[in-house]
Amino acid sequence: MDTGGGKATIEYDDAITRMFLIAGILWGAVGMAAGVFIASQLAFWQMNLDLPWLTFGRLRPLHTNAAIFAFVGNMMFAGIYYSTQRLVKAALPSRLLARVHFWLWQAIIVAAAITLPLGLTRGKEYAELIWPIDIAVAVAWVIFAINFFWTLARRNEPSLYVAVWFYIATIVTVTVLYVVNHLQIPTGLLHGYPIFGGVQDALVQWWYGHNAVAFFLTTPILGIMYYYLPKAAGRPVYSYRLSVVHFWSLVFIYIWAGPHHLLHTALPDWLQSLGMIFSVMLWAPSWGGMLNGLLTLRGAWDKVREDPVLKFFAAGVTFYGMSTFEGPLLAIKSVNALSHYTDWTIGHVHAGTLGWNGFMAAGMFYWLAPRLWNTRLHSTALANFHFWIGLVGILLYIASMWVSGISHGLMLGATTEGGSVLKYPNFLDAVTANRAMMHTRMLGGMLYLSGWVLLVYNIWRTVASGKPVNGTAEVFVAERRSHRLTLAEALTSTPVMFTAVILACVLLWAIGWDFVKMLALLGLIVAMVVAVDRVESRLQGWGEWYDRLLANSLPFTVLTVFAVLIGGLVEIIPTIVMHKASTLEGVRQIPYTPLQLAGRDIYIREGCYNCHSQMVRPFVGEVLRYGDYSKLGESIYDHPYQWGSKRTGPDLHRVGGKYPHIWHLRHMENPRSVSIGSPMPNYPWLLQNRADLGSLKAKFDVLRTLGVPYPERSQDRLAQEAAAEAKVVADDLGKSGAAVEPDREIIALIAYLQQLGKSEQVPKATTAATAKPMR
Amino acid sequence: MSRLAQNSADADAPLKGHSFDGIEEYDKKLPNWWLWTLYGAIAFSFFYWFYFHWVGNPETSVQRLERQLSAIALAAASSGGAELDDTALWKMSRDEKIVSAGRKTFLTTCVSCHGVDLKGGIGVNLTDKDWVHGGKPTEVVRTVTKGVLDKGMPSWGPVLGKMRVAQVTAFVLSHHAEGEEIHMVPSPTKSAGAAAPAPAAAP
Repeated sequence: MDTGGGKATIEYDDAITRMFLIAGILWGAVGMAAGVFIASQLAFWQMNLDLPWLTFGRLRPLHTNAAIFAFVGNMMFAGIYYSTQRLVKAALPSRLLARVHFWLWQAIIVAAAITLPLGLTRGKEYAELIWPIDIAVAVAWVIFAINFFWTLARRNEPSLYVAVWFYIATIVTVTVLYVVNHLQIPTGLLHGYPIFGGVQDALVQWWYGHNAVAFFLTTPILGIMYYYLPKAAGRPVYSYRLSVVHFWSLVFIYIWAGPHHLLHTALPDWLQSLGMIFSVMLWAPSWGGMLNGLLTLRGAWDKVREDPVLKFFAAGVTFYGMSTFEGPLLAIKSVNALSHYTDWTIGHVHAGTLGWNGFMAAGMFYWLAPRLWNTRLHSTALANFHFWIGLVGILLYIASMWVSGISHGLMLGATTEGGSVLKYPNFLDAVTANRAMMHTRMLGGMLYLSGWVLLVYNIWRTVASGKPVNGTAEVFVAERRSHRLTLAEALTSTPVMFTAVILACVLLWAIGWDFVKMLALLGLIVAMVVAVDRVESRLQGWGEWYDRLLANSLPFTVLTVFAVLIGGLVEIIPTIVMHKASTLEGVRQIPYTPLQLAGRDIYIREGCYNCHSQMVRPFVGEVLRYGDYSKLGESIYDHPYQWGSKRTGPDLHRVGGKYPHIWHLRHMENPRSVSIGSPMPNYPWLLQNRADLGSLKAKFDVLRTLGVPYPERSQDRLAQEAAAEAKVVADDLGKSGAAVEPDREIIALIAYLQQLGKSEQVPKATTAATAKPMR
Repeated sequence: MSRLAQNSADADAPLKGHSFDGIEEYDKKLPNWWLWTLYGAIAFSFFYWFYFHWVGNPETSVQRLERQLSAIALAAASSGGAELDDTALWKMSRDEKIVSAGRKTFLTTCVSCHGVDLKGGIGVNLTDKDWVHGGKPTEVVRTVTKGVLDKGMPSWGPVLGKMRVAQVTAFVLSHHAEGEEIHMVPSPTKSAGAAAPAPAAAP
């Protein structure tokens, strides 16, 4: 075809946006209600109701998954389907695929809502769903990706707008992250073990976990901001070149920052440092997004006073700026020493989710609903009231978490008598001190949820007053291939080459050894000088190059993939290759016995990791309180790792052998019988249920495949060994005056808990030299 | 800000010549403070790595921990002169202030096994004349400090510190009288210990 082209009218598929919009609103209410419920459990332990499927450990994953994947997921799909069609002037190519995407996603959410309370979990935060659901998630995501890129391929708009850049980054990166962190081997239909263990699993988990925040909760919402905010404000975007700089720096830097969730743990030092410095470098790129949002509102602030949509956007972007400043702050090692494992992190996350995600969602829904149903918003006053009540809710929430987190961290770390003993030896002192903050947080959550209920009502009345319409547009179908950059041209172009050389030099400098290091540093300086010189003289040309890049989505996508892959590769590959490093500190985990493994799976099922860490950090306060600090080799056989991220209760890594069996029995039956004031739920069913020993064969086979040194044993043999161990524990309990059948779950759990922190000495690895350059 | 000023500020800002679904973009210069934040963070990171992972030889967190722990051990060793004897502990057990401080520690730390009334439960009865690990005040101090791990008594010395151990011992002694008969018995619940987990069947 030649330039040709003609005029055509297209009708957008807005029905799919309406479906996702309604789903997002309803699941939002469910996710927030679950949040308020579990907040009430932390304030009043009685709210656990002594029911297995309603305990905090099982419901907290339900809350996080609902908020992330059900609420923000549906909101994101609504926002992306609506804006992408308009930004590229093309209707969705497949209405069928979009519907499959929608219904599959809702089915996944329902499946999650059933399996998580049943205790079917993978035991990894924000990645709890069991493997059959994981596969469904991947399929749904790929369907979404196909429809999205197909839309781009059929576009009638030559160039790609910044919102679309962020959508592309979201789709490709989430695919990579989700697949890698969910690699696992099934032991049955409803259970599997992750292929990574110990430190590797920790690293992969937080590479995923941190970037779920980055590429599921941040980049798609930035894309949505770039479409809906200027639309609602009626103002041009503040700065195109800021978009370019902050987009590329954000997607490149974000991926490296994952290890900041593992500071002061057994993770090797060089990874911890990378996690910290990349978090610090992430500050400006994040604020670039905030600036482009807030400064676009210049000249429209008078509208903010009346328009609830702009109010939500302005506050949402402000909260984004606040939490992306707080994030780098918390990632600084010395700050993290205080804040880690405390409510400060919880407050930080909710500033992002309630403030940024929740408010951007509310603004977008209020803006979309009247347009999708061709009517007016039912009540502006009600929407404004939602804004204020929600804002007060957020402020109460995060302020109480700051107070609680900081006092928790300070109290648990405090020492006295010249730093030789703990000032607050009883862990519960720090818990009881923050009781009022738990109540305040609950109140904040309730206010926020109430605001959302108002939104549900307001949108429902709006929808009822109109009728659905699909947008249309007149497009000129123009041939546009002439000046597009091909993939080969893009990859060999000067800007890409310069970036590659500079990155290679930095990497060589960082990880190389003496001579190479110097050479790399020299190369870096030369490349920078030349690059700066070129930018000065050829800025015009580079700008045109970028315009041509934007006219072709393939090279753009490929370059985005490169940008996000580098960080993950550099951090993860050495950790997997240097498996031997697990013996660096001279201790190695003793693999679990059959009964202990059965107990461990109960620990994971009940979600104990939601409140208990298994990672003693190398601080005096922690060593005095818990025992020797945790070493790298002491969790290498843990699939999944259970280092944890929050201490609502004490660390458990050295709990093995600390108390008699009978203590654990009484404690699990009713924690308050031995720990006065404990907020932990009762677990009476552990004394009644029989432990699952029938799947031991499948589980041990999988673990052996994954490299845990187990001999081959038959199911009968494993069950016999477990029964023999169980008898020893039960006999001991009997002597202490508690008659428990040896086949109960509590026996297995006690066997697991009593093994925690027991390791064997091994000769120090001679491979230490390989890790030396990076220390 | 007045609309007039706003408009004139926009007038000299170049608009990028494109429009997406009606959205236009300025192409304003990046704010200097933002650029310097970015450059500053990159420079900080460069020097951080330069110092901590190349030229410098900073103390690692494990080295710092070891230094602090050995300082504590040294301080403990050098303050050995102030060891308490039986007489001093009996005297403390009649001091209302010390006993009530000891009660506070007991109610948060020991109560879970020895009970609110000290009559035992998971742990042994502390009010009768039967003693398993020695009933002399200094022996009680030793049991609290070092624990009896294979009987399920944790070592509380590192957690509580000398002062609180002495206080809590005084509190226990306040339920007894000096010169009272001490009746040594073997552990009432033989091998109530937890510390010996099930013999590890070959993994």
